[in-house]
Parts: sequence; C-alpha cells; structure tokens
Amino acid sequence: MPTDTKRVRAPEVSQSPSLFSCGPAVVLPSHGARADGRQRDQVDVRPVFVRCGLVSQAKGSAYIEAGDTKLLCSVYGPKETERKDETDMKCGRLTTDMRFAPFSCPERGSWIQGSQDKNFSLMLQESLQPALCLHKYPRSQIEVNVMVLENSGSVQAHAITCASLALADAGIEMYDLVLGCSIRQDGSSYVVDPTYLEENNWSSSEHQGGLTVAFLPSLNQVSGLQSDGEMTEETLTAGIRTCIEGCYKLYPVIQQALVKAVRRAAPES
Amino acid sequence: MARVKVSEAEKVYILHGIRDDLRVDGRSCEDYRHMEVETDVVSNTDGSARVSLGHTAVLVGIKAEIGKPRPLVPDEGYLEFFVDCSANATPEFEGRGGEELGIELSNTLYRVFNNRSSVDLKSLCISAGEHCWVLYVDVLLLQCDGNLYDAISVAIKAALFNTKIPRVHMSSDEEGGKEVELSDDPFDCVRLNVESVPCIVTLCKVGHRHVVDATLQEKACSVASLIIAVTHRGTVTCAKKMGGGSLDPESIFEMTEAGKRVGKALHAPLMKLLQQEESLGKKRQKVGFLG
Repeated sequence: MPTDTKRVRAPEVSQSPSLFSCGPAVVLPSHGARADGRQRDQVDVRPVFVRCGLVSQAKGSAYIEAGDTKLLCSVYGPKETERKDETDMKCGRLTTDMRFAPFSCPERGSWIQGSQDKNFSLMLQESLQPALCLHKYPRSQIEVNVMVLENSGSVQAHAITCASLALADAGIEMYDLVLGCSIRQDGSSYVVDPTYLEENNWSSSEHQGGLTVAFLPSLNQVSGLQSDGEMTEETLTAGIRTCIEGCYKLYPVIQQALVKAVRRAAPES
Repeated sequence: MARVKVSEAEKVYILHGIRDDLRVDGRSCEDYRHMEVETDVVSNTDGSARVSLGHTAVLVGIKAEIGKPRPLVPDEGYLEFFVDCSANATPEFEGRGGEELGIELSNTLYRVFNNRSSVDLKSLCISAGEHCWVLYVDVLLLQCDGNLYDAISVAIKAALFNTKIPRVHMSSDEEGGKEVELSDDPFDCVRLNVESVPCIVTLCKVGHRHVVDATLQEKACSVASLIIAVTHRGTVTCAKKMGGGSLDPESIFEMTEAGKRVGKALHAPLMKLLQQEESLGKKRQKVGFLG
C-alpha cells in the first residue's frame, strides 16, 4: 500500500482502544425489535433527509442523511476527458470516486484508498452507468465524487441514491433515477437498511449475509447487485424483491427533494 | 478484460444462435468448454493448481506462512488473495495495465470467501492471539479467453485441496517463552477440507437468454453479466452484477437459479477428479504446461 508522506501518522503498531475493552463483543439478538425501534422482517427503511445544491462549485451536488449515515456527493461535468487516449468518440465516460473520511467509521481509516475501497467506486459506476444517456455527451467525461462523512450502515446503497440525485441536480440527462437499498440477512429473518452494528454483527446463525441492490424504479431494471456472506438461492431472490420494495418506498421522497431544489433554483417569476 | 472487436453482423449471428440455444462452437447455453485441472505443478509452493478452460489458463500457488492473527478474531487464521494479470495474457496487461482488473478480481475473491464455512479458519490457528497460519493465494493469469472468474475459482479449490501445511506444535524454551516448532518429518502435514469452498459461475446476458462460460466474442455482445459463487450444498456466498447495462429482476431470478444449478453440478466431478489424481500418487503422469 502506498505510504502517505504528507501527514504525520501514528506509529505502525498503534491500535484502537476499542480492541482493549474488557467486555465480550456485543452480539445483537436475532429476534425482536431492532435497536432503533424499527421492525425486522419488514421493509422499514430509515427516514431520509435529502438536499440538493449544497456545494456551490460543483455542477450538481446532493447531501443525504439516513439515521446517522451522512454522505455528500458532487458532480463535475460534462467536461473534456482528462486522459486523451481514453476519449470515446461515440459516448461519454463516467468516472466515480467514493471515499471515506478517516473519522467516518468507528475504526480510524486512512486517506489513501486501499484496494478494498475501489470496490465501492466500481459498484457505484456500474450502478449509475445504465441510467445515464452517455451517448448524448460524446468525447466528454462526467465525474462523480462521493464522500462519506459518517458511516452508520448501508453506505453503498445511500451513495448510489445520493449520486443519482447529484447527477439530476447537475442537469445530466438520465433515463431514470437510481435508488439503492440494502438488506442484512440473519438466519431466517432480515433487516432492511442495516445500521453499522447490524451490518457487522456476526452471530452464530448459519445463513448470514448482506445484499445491496441498485434499482431504476420507473423502468423496473436492476442496475447493481452485490451480495456477500452465505445465503440460499431462495433467500437471495427474496432479498432482491425486498430491496426493490425498499427502493419504491424511497422514490417519492427523492422525487420531492428534486422538485424542491428546482423550485428553489428557479428565478422568481 | 482483453477485448475483441466484433462487427454488427457477427453480433447478430451470435445473438440469433444463442436465442436458439446454439452457440458458435456448438455448445448449448449452459455448457462449459473443455476444462483441464492439474494440481501440484509448482514444487516451491505448499499447494498449486493449473486450470485451463478453453484458451483461458490460470495458475494458482498457495504458500502458508506463520503470522499474527487479526486483532478482532484472535483464534482464526486468514487467507490473502492476490491476482496478477501477466503481460503474457494480452498486451493490454503490460506494465500497470492489468492492475485494475487484478484488483477487481482479488476484491471479488475476498468477498466470496468472506464467510464462516468456506474454509475452516479456526483450523489455521496455532496459538490464539499470537500465531496463526496465513495462506497467501496467488493467482497468475497466463492466457485470457473469457470467463476468468470460473477458471480462477476452480483453480483455487484445486490448489487448496492440494495444500499441505506443515504440522507445528508449541513448545516452551529456556526462558519460559513459547516457540513454534516444525515437526521433524517433512511429509507430516495437515490438509484442508475443501468441501465447502465455493465455485464461481459467470452468466452473461446475451439478448434475452443467458450463457454460461462466455468466450470473448460472446462477452462483447452482452451488456451485463452476473457472477454467483455457489457451494456444493447450493448456498450462494456471493452474487455480483457486472458490466455497464441493467438487468430485469425476472432475468436475475432466472440467472441465479441457473447459476445455482450449474454451480452445484460442478463440485462433484471436480472433487472426484481431485481425489483420483491424489490417489495416483507417484504414478501420476505430469502433463505440465506443454501437454
């Protein structure tokens, strides 16, 4: 991994104090209500606060808050491609970059992207690409930058929603908004839109896993899918259906936020 | 991935063929190409395997080293994956060209093995909190003709089956500190149980149908594909959609079902072949890379 020469780092052997805490790791129960009062086995997503147009320098931007998860996305473009040898004559290119602030997770992360972080950027790009009318922007590049300010679970899903809002705010032509929803399967029950503790909860049940789906609601197409852990194929199928329902629930809120942003930006008539 | 340019006429030809369940090389939509698996090809490793699937060739070497366990799970060892896209495969991979693809492949492998039952990590522990076995799984792409994930996962399963970890025991030395001692007999080793190691199946959506084990030409005609890692029991450890297109939820359900069926059917013949190869022992004729 490349070293960061600009910042004064802690010694290599330093560790987070949470590793030395005396109690056993908290294992969340697999039954009953969830810690924040939502229901399990139901499509109960966290209420979402969304605002567009917060970053003045960017062409389009969006900020999303879901529970404690906070994300900021800014879109630059369409502009000339940076690497001339990758200019595509027939359609535009989408570059995505998703970064975590070092203070966003309970364990301090580093500013330099590890190889695991590139995973997030890649899924973001694959989820957004089908929705954009890139053929309308030949020889151009559209840059999407997502910054996670606080990671309290379900970051990938909310990043996808935030990025598509920012793209709409920037005026990039799209076929549809892309919404993200994630689910965590724990044995026979599932929780929708898991928090950080629920996501990293390795209980003793056999079939545990997480699933994130990116969905285009009015076209009924899945543009992104990523799952890990261990599940049966029926559970995976049911999980995808649940995530699609979660996206439908989120759709009106996102649409309203966009309408408000347009009204605010429109000149006083 | 190495790309081929396919003309519109060729695309239509491939599309129409797949629509009628007949691919360019005569296979049906769910058939694999001719697959060759050979283990114990590199003598310096603790386990190795070579897989060639059509013209795709993959070499996996596993080395076991003693390291410190991860702080959050002190009683488990771990696996580290690294995929190297060699410039032998295609000129695009020269220098740092293959780095992006290599990172994507290794990240997917981490995700596939990120569960409790694929590999028994507790058996890799030597002494909790201090010493554990770290298996460095290094994958080398020698030739690239589509369907890298499937070939890599079969090679990893074969290499893990072939892995011989030396037997160690803890002993206390003069000052009362603990020391790791290797057993005197070089052939005394521990083998891993690879029953639950998953195999990855890649399904490419071409037209309205999906194909398993797509060649580069078929990949050029598809906009999206789904990779699904299936164990011998039929559980799915990883599902990922790749490519720049979108998929209908109904086709995703069809593809996961087909992937599970194909993946489950892959395990039994593979284990049989590996056990057969193992039982031949010294009498086995090594084919190597030129066979």
